[in-house]
Amino acid sequence: MSDKYFGKPVKRVEDPRFITGTGHYTEDMTLPGMAHAAMLRSPYASARIVSIDATRALAQPGVLAVLTGKDLLDAKIGSIPTGWLLPDLKTPPHYAIAPEVARHVGDVIAAVIAEDRATAEDAVALLDVELEPMDAVALGSDALAPAAPQVHPEAPGNVAFEWEIGDAAAVEENFARAYRTVKLTLRNHRLVPNAIEPRASMAQYQKASDEFTLWTTSQNPHIHRLLLAAFVLGIPEHKLRVISPDVGGGFGSKIFQYPEEVIVLHAARKLNRPVKWSARRSESFVSDAQGRDHETVAELAVDEHHKVLGLRVKTVANLGAYLTTFAPAVPTYLYGTLLNGTYRFPAVHAHVTGVFTNTVGVDAYRGAGRPEATYVVERMMSRMAHELGIDPAEFRRLNFIQPDEFPYQTPVALVYDSGNYEPALDQALERVGYAELRREQEEARARGRYIGIGFSSYLEACGLAPSKLVGQLGAQAGQWESAVVRVMPTGKVEVLTGSHSHGQGHETAFAQIIADDLQIPMEDVSIIHGDTGRMPYGWGTYGSRSAAVGGSAMKMATAKILDKARRIAAHLLEAAPEDVVHEDGKFFVRGVPANSKSFFDVALMAHLAHNIPDDMEPGLEAQHFYDPKNFVYPFGTHVAVVEVDADTGRVKLLKYVAVDDCGPMINPLIAEGQVHGGIAQGVGQALLENTVYDEQGQLVTGSFMEYAVPRADDLVQFDIGHTVTPSPHNPLGVKGIGEAGTIASTAATANAVIDALAPFGIAHLDMPYTPERVWRAIQAARAQTQQAADD
Amino acid sequence: MYTTEFDYHRAGSVQEALALLAANPDAKLLAGGHSLIPAMKLRLASPPALIDVSKVAGLRGIRLEGVEVVIGAMTTHRDVEFSDVLRAACPLLSQVAPLIGDPMVRNRGTVGGALAHADPAADYPASMLALGASMTIASTSGERTVPADEFFTGMFETAVAPGELLTEIRVPAATLGEGQAYEKFAHPASRYAIAGVAAVVRTQGGSVSSARVAMTGAGYHAMRLTKVEEALVGQTPTPEVVEAAVRGAVSPDELLGDHFASAEYRAHLVEVQARKAILRALGSAG
Amino acid sequence: MRLEGTHAIRAPREQVWAALNDPEVLARCVPGARDVERDGPDSYRARLELAVGPVKGVYQGKVKLTDLVPPESMTLSVEAKAPVGIVKAVGEVRLEERGEETLVHWAGTPQLAGTLATLGGRLIGGVAKQQADVFFGKLDAEVRAQRAPSTTEV
Repeated sequence: MSDKYFGKPVKRVEDPRFITGTGHYTEDMTLPGMAHAAMLRSPYASARIVSIDATRALAQPGVLAVLTGKDLLDAKIGSIPTGWLLPDLKTPPHYAIAPEVARHVGDVIAAVIAEDRATAEDAVALLDVELEPMDAVALGSDALAPAAPQVHPEAPGNVAFEWEIGDAAAVEENFARAYRTVKLTLRNHRLVPNAIEPRASMAQYQKASDEFTLWTTSQNPHIHRLLLAAFVLGIPEHKLRVISPDVGGGFGSKIFQYPEEVIVLHAARKLNRPVKWSARRSESFVSDAQGRDHETVAELAVDEHHKVLGLRVKTVANLGAYLTTFAPAVPTYLYGTLLNGTYRFPAVHAHVTGVFTNTVGVDAYRGAGRPEATYVVERMMSRMAHELGIDPAEFRRLNFIQPDEFPYQTPVALVYDSGNYEPALDQALERVGYAELRREQEEARARGRYIGIGFSSYLEACGLAPSKLVGQLGAQAGQWESAVVRVMPTGKVEVLTGSHSHGQGHETAFAQIIADDLQIPMEDVSIIHGDTGRMPYGWGTYGSRSAAVGGSAMKMATAKILDKARRIAAHLLEAAPEDVVHEDGKFFVRGVPANSKSFFDVALMAHLAHNIPDDMEPGLEAQHFYDPKNFVYPFGTHVAVVEVDADTGRVKLLKYVAVDDCGPMINPLIAEGQVHGGIAQGVGQALLENTVYDEQGQLVTGSFMEYAVPRADDLVQFDIGHTVTPSPHNPLGVKGIGEAGTIASTAATANAVIDALAPFGIAHLDMPYTPERVWRAIQAARAQTQQAADD
Repeated sequence: MYTTEFDYHRAGSVQEALALLAANPDAKLLAGGHSLIPAMKLRLASPPALIDVSKVAGLRGIRLEGVEVVIGAMTTHRDVEFSDVLRAACPLLSQVAPLIGDPMVRNRGTVGGALAHADPAADYPASMLALGASMTIASTSGERTVPADEFFTGMFETAVAPGELLTEIRVPAATLGEGQAYEKFAHPASRYAIAGVAAVVRTQGGSVSSARVAMTGAGYHAMRLTKVEEALVGQTPTPEVVEAAVRGAVSPDELLGDHFASAEYRAHLVEVQARKAILRALGSAG
Repeated sequence: MRLEGTHAIRAPREQVWAALNDPEVLARCVPGARDVERDGPDSYRARLELAVGPVKGVYQGKVKLTDLVPPESMTLSVEAKAPVGIVKAVGEVRLEERGEETLVHWAGTPQLAGTLATLGGRLIGGVAKQQADVFFGKLDAEVRAQRAPSTTEV
């Protein structure tokens, strides 16, 4: 097989089942005797639960049980833990059902289990619950005010943590000798993840063996098992099997361990019947962990040669009502460490305050901390270029870390192992036709049309990552990945991975890697994931880690297979293993291809074991646990071109160019698909998506009637390019691409909008650029100009 | 989410629908179901019974009757979108229909259902006002005709009384010298109108002989912009005249406001959309 | 969102005041009110059958009158609860004499909770206005009906 799969745009093998409706999701499953759960959720952002009278609900035919917070406490069900600790982190309890106080709209107050879902939902409406509403707080900075309502008694002042990184004194010093500084107050607003498949969980309990099985929408079934078994249920992990079948998207929101999983597990044991719950979309809006929500003050300083001297950042991160699984990590280690961007920043300092509010928990959402950091860095770079009156692309180029400076130690902990930023910028400029575009922009302005061009020369650290390092940073999890490559007697191959696919196309891309190395057809390789009962221990999929970490684990397990296969072939060919080559799918003695053994011959003999070396174990199976030496550092430059309609404030995306460097691409079709989806989400944040809580903590954008996710007609045909700088440390050289689009595009789009508004004298405007917000900014700027003219 | 339990009746004729309605006074009429069913799933509405009128004989279809186009109440948005009769005789509705919802909504949703539902942000109402349409309403005591100007009485409120059924919509066919246009500023999420303006303008000898301009989405219900109309009639319709006519078209005090678009902004959008609609109508006058 | 309105009632201020404090009158005038009962000196509870377009439901309502300055002003607290959500409003009501008429000025900020908060934001202003129109229209008719016999007696 000289024709390699690696690098080919192979069509995704999972797509036929998805597009013909034959995917197998948790909600599709039915077990004999299965009951259904429905949740009563708090309509208030903060309320004391005075009483719950279930008499009327329980009197309904078909209602099996009503569960309250007290029931779970009585059953010794533990609080849901957070998976990442920081120094002095406040960790108030998070019970699956609130026993005394509901802390956000959507917090579960009671659960009804019934014979069918309609009965369960009818019975929820019959629960007589007395709630005493209390004052609530929704905005992070409001929660820090002295008289703010207190979300948890365990966290005085609503502060979950104070965290800092970098050298404050060095920043101070550099600012003191600055030629020019700029300062911006930036709001990175909150987002709702909106995976296409709402969360669902189904639990089964085997009384005889005291074992549970949980089918759930998880990006990382082993993490779910660990948290649920060890911390919540208090049972040995091997008594809980977690299966995550086909999952329709996650964007991070399905990493976390949620209350409903605890409720169905407990109910299944209590009733000794399988119990299923599936979220309605309106429940997803108030119960899936949300993203972003930062309030930041940032300052950037340059010297007289326009070289950056330092960046100072102060951020209030809204964490919502409870610390979800990775919540403490996102606005700290995944954010502060990225504030150096692609540039030589001699000094950086960031201070982050994590704050509890009466809102849905905030955790990793596609990009997780890195889009927030990129927004700060890239917005500040463009703001400074504007202040200096120089071209934003050239200002970036001037400050890029140079190719000969790697490995590059940043002032915020990371060591970039590789990078080459200018070629990506150059390619982006060429693709967008930059010089011509600037001319068009000038001409358009003269005709009263406002076009803007925005840049984002981003960098991300992904492929989470060396376990030792993340452990030092507070992770309560390892970050290696596992793979088992199991060859059948027929030479067909089953690969078990701890990574999880919920839209990433693992069954295709991973099969390409294995098929290449074993020199067998891709169709002979099956990728299996999502079942703790079948897979080796693994940490799942998030942080763009599957290809770099999971893929590398597979490649290394495959190397073990090949080594053994070669030794078996050598034995059969009566040659020394070092003389046997593996070419075109055959093993033969170098120079004697006529006498060869196929992979099938070797696989069969490994299993028959009739004729293998005496000191060799039979079988052909290998496992590898791969722990990378470093993160991987994808980067690139994105350029957005927008037009603002000054009449209405509406912003239209005109053009979008993305040049990304994710190293060599396993499958360009999948990689570009990831970039497309990521850009859509990032542009969506800048222009459309907005999570609005009112002053009482009510989510007023809790449906698709109000919450605008981007659709095809909001976007344009993206122009995608690549440069290739391999990761120096993993065996595939690959770097994650799943989040890059989201990380880069929000900042690029924001910069484009501000560039379009420059003629009005507008230096900054917060996202999202909804029509009225833009229109009002233009009106205000015009009034100011008028005022100035009048004076 | 699931609806509460309800009885389902399917009517085969107008008479049967009216009889069912008389027998089930709390029942809701079901047409395309694209507003009612979501409301029921969210349990914002829990009618004890539905009377499905989508299959009532004779209520679906578009035909030319003399100088009027008659649209059966159960005609789908898609039928409207692809109707040759309307394209020739009432181009305004051909413009409006493709802006409603998405293809799935347009395949199910009906003109009569949308008009009787009278969502303040629906697209058709402004067009019906601008076209001077009239609605035929049936009851057990016979039929009556209500002009569009008297049809939209409030938020989700129309002239259709309990026990009655909207059966058809009659639209005057476009005449020579008449131009029609609808300009919609849509909410990016719901795609309902934040401000939509329909204009039907006739010119004669270089000046405006009649103008009917109506808005939807911005207020409690669709309504005519009479000030704008009056400012146009008798004028030579230059861009400056149109610009002056739309200024102050509606006061923010009369409009809705929410987190996405305040009443003040909606008032501004009405002006912008009115200007665009009038200019385009003038440009398309045949 | 703060809402406000003014309605003219064709009756003297004392009579309008009395009507506003009469549970039987309220039962007849509050749109959809059923089983209005007094459960305190200045508080009432009722079942409200509310229908706004597709949204129709039965709400458990509570009304409390405070800061009573007869016959000039009061603070009105209204709460209506249903499984789909809660509507709460605290409003000021002021009665102004103007010739034969009484002008009732009201202002308040409605708060929504639950599903209503998520889906009702766009409509709450319009709904409040519509319900107020109905209420004061009925109140006007009510006090005029009361007035008709009393004038003949005098």
